[in-house]
Amino acid sequence: MYVAAKGGEDAIQHAEALYHALNGTVTPELVHQILDHMPYLVDRVMGEGSLYAPELAALALAQTGGDLYEAVLLLRAYRSTQPRIAYATAITAADLLTVRRISAAFKDIPGGQVLGPTLDYSHRILDLDALDGIAPTPTAPAAADQPAPRSYPAVADWLRGQGLMPPAQPDPTDPADLPDVTTDAVLFPAPRAHRLQALARSETGGTLALGYASMRGYGLVHPTVNELRLGYAEVGMTHPLTGEPFSAGRARLSFGEVVNSGGSGDKRGFALGFTATLGWNEVKLIAGSTLDLEMSASDPHPAHTEEFVMYHTEPVESSGFCIHFKLPHYVTFASNLDAVRRVASLIYGESESVSVGTHNNGSSADTASAAGTHNNASAVHDASAVSVEAS
Amino acid sequence: MTALADLAHPRQDYSYAFLDASAKRELRRRILKAVAIPGYQVPYASRELPIARGWGTGGLQASLALVGPESVVKVIDQGADDSVNAANLRRFITRMSGAATTTDAARASILQSRHRIPEERLGAYQTLVLQVPDPEPLRGVQSDISKAHEMHADSDYGQLWLLLYEQLVRFRQYVQGASYPALVNGRYVISPSPIPRWDNPKLHQTPSLTILAAGREKRLYTVPPYTNVIPLEFSDVPFQVEDQRGWVCRTTGAVNKFMNELPQSDGSAMYELSDSGYAEKLKNDLPTAPTYYDENGGFYHDGYLKPPVILP
Repeated sequence: MYVAAKGGEDAIQHAEALYHALNGTVTPELVHQILDHMPYLVDRVMGEGSLYAPELAALALAQTGGDLYEAVLLLRAYRSTQPRIAYATAITAADLLTVRRISAAFKDIPGGQVLGPTLDYSHRILDLDALDGIAPTPTAPAAADQPAPRSYPAVADWLRGQGLMPPAQPDPTDPADLPDVTTDAVLFPAPRAHRLQALARSETGGTLALGYASMRGYGLVHPTVNELRLGYAEVGMTHPLTGEPFSAGRARLSFGEVVNSGGSGDKRGFALGFTATLGWNEVKLIAGSTLDLEMSASDPHPAHTEEFVMYHTEPVESSGFCIHFKLPHYVTFASNLDAVRRVASLIYGESESVSVGTHNNGSSADTASAAGTHNNASAVHDASAVSVEAS
Repeated sequence: MTALADLAHPRQDYSYAFLDASAKRELRRRILKAVAIPGYQVPYASRELPIARGWGTGGLQASLALVGPESVVKVIDQGADDSVNAANLRRFITRMSGAATTTDAARASILQSRHRIPEERLGAYQTLVLQVPDPEPLRGVQSDISKAHEMHADSDYGQLWLLLYEQLVRFRQYVQGASYPALVNGRYVISPSPIPRWDNPKLHQTPSLTILAAGREKRLYTVPPYTNVIPLEFSDVPFQVEDQRGWVCRTTGAVNKFMNELPQSDGSAMYELSDSGYAEKLKNDLPTAPTYYDENGGFYHDGYLKPPVILP
């Protein structure tokens, strides 16, 4: 009995034990297998969990049997109490150690299109031989004729140089003073920092659903992918004692930009939608940057409403609320039952219903006077007296 | 040579009561603001907790911000102490704070609850923390939070009244189930959380502090001690609590307290007290605190609940 008239505490401990028993033991080997062989899954948990910690993300996946929402919740709950030791220095597109960058807006771009690691142009055929232990023989990636450049310019900068996009406005705010969606009370209209942070940790499926609705025809424009990049970012820090800048490590990072010329209304240039996230997640980047471009449009569609987009793509909140309907609701249901029974008796005259229902013909004046003969504090009891008199 | 691990501080345990100091400070400040402006929904950041969102994380944050080693905590869900989610939340609060627990509403210093207010009257220095799924009573008539915020600022509650009026026209009575909206201190309309209407009057002029906290929606509001809480009602058609007259608790014989209706295999129903802590006392012949409703269903604030009026 899940409402557990008795022994709720005991029941939940056994239920949890059964869950873990069915999912098998979590070992360091399992965690590192996940880490090594499922980087995109780990990326997704880190991105939505908004914590760059590959080992912890892999552990979260192992511990939850691969339940993405549970894994993200584990990481978020761990993250929410971690101290902020310092803020990394801001990076630009040119700082990203890029392994893949493409632009759909131009055939070629300064620095070149770099396909990098992708399945985009592959045949999606199950490799059934792998089941028989016949290892697929992947072609070893060939080395390029010359080493890749250290950095690539931003495609958007070219558009800016052409006067097709307003110049970038560097934000001089100290990173520590930026609005922070995880520690601020979120209000609407939200600062752009909140919006971009919310998109960075938004749920991929939810972001795709709203972004897709927009792209499919509910949107205002056809987004063009101006640039999509996967790479590694140096976590730039300043040493607290020596003041020397240093790198505290590298994080897998990706960002996407879409442009359109219709949104601003004047057609004088292009507007830019942007999304960046921890890990590599191209679907989210394109959907998210489309939403970034459109979610302030004065249009009633949900995908064009900042509040709607931000609230409904939150993985921890949406999944948590959805599954909360498994909790017992018998008190609220009883309250609704009462209202339904009252309507059934008063409006539809179903006699077997509660006694107040037998009081169909009594005028309100009768009711008041009848009730008035009793102690006015006994409101609940009064109704019973009324119904007896009326019947 | 110094290893990187030597330079890093050792892995730390979680903070006392889980939340870090800055989260606690924020929550306490927001709670104080909410006490200063009864019924006003104060936005707060709302940290993630290790339980699912929508399962009481708002109430839990308020409880964790208040709890100390000397606290005595009671957690109920649908009135029951041993409901699985209540058991889980209680286990978490005590694990993180070392606070004592109780099922006795009269003994608790912090009562966290989902969907119910205990039957025994709460006193001064007791805090009731209600878990709130949707803090916005205007959500049904205005889904845009910014606009709803302006409506609250203007005390523009006309659409709520219209909703009630439409119910009267169509059904000759109010047909709202739980979460019946109430006016706090003559200023802000609140959603009292999905408590049954039976529990709405208990918020009125009570010596205890009530904190209503929504984790997912990131708003908290309060009903301070001795504050007027009036359910929305037209002067000629008073608000009504659930009609459970004649329902007798099958284990304690209690009447005129909120009951769970238990469907039986023969199509009939049995009834049982929803408030498990109170039922436990009755079963064991332990002394009980005065209750909000007496044996006859009379409410302790004389005249607060009015006789029903059914429109012709």
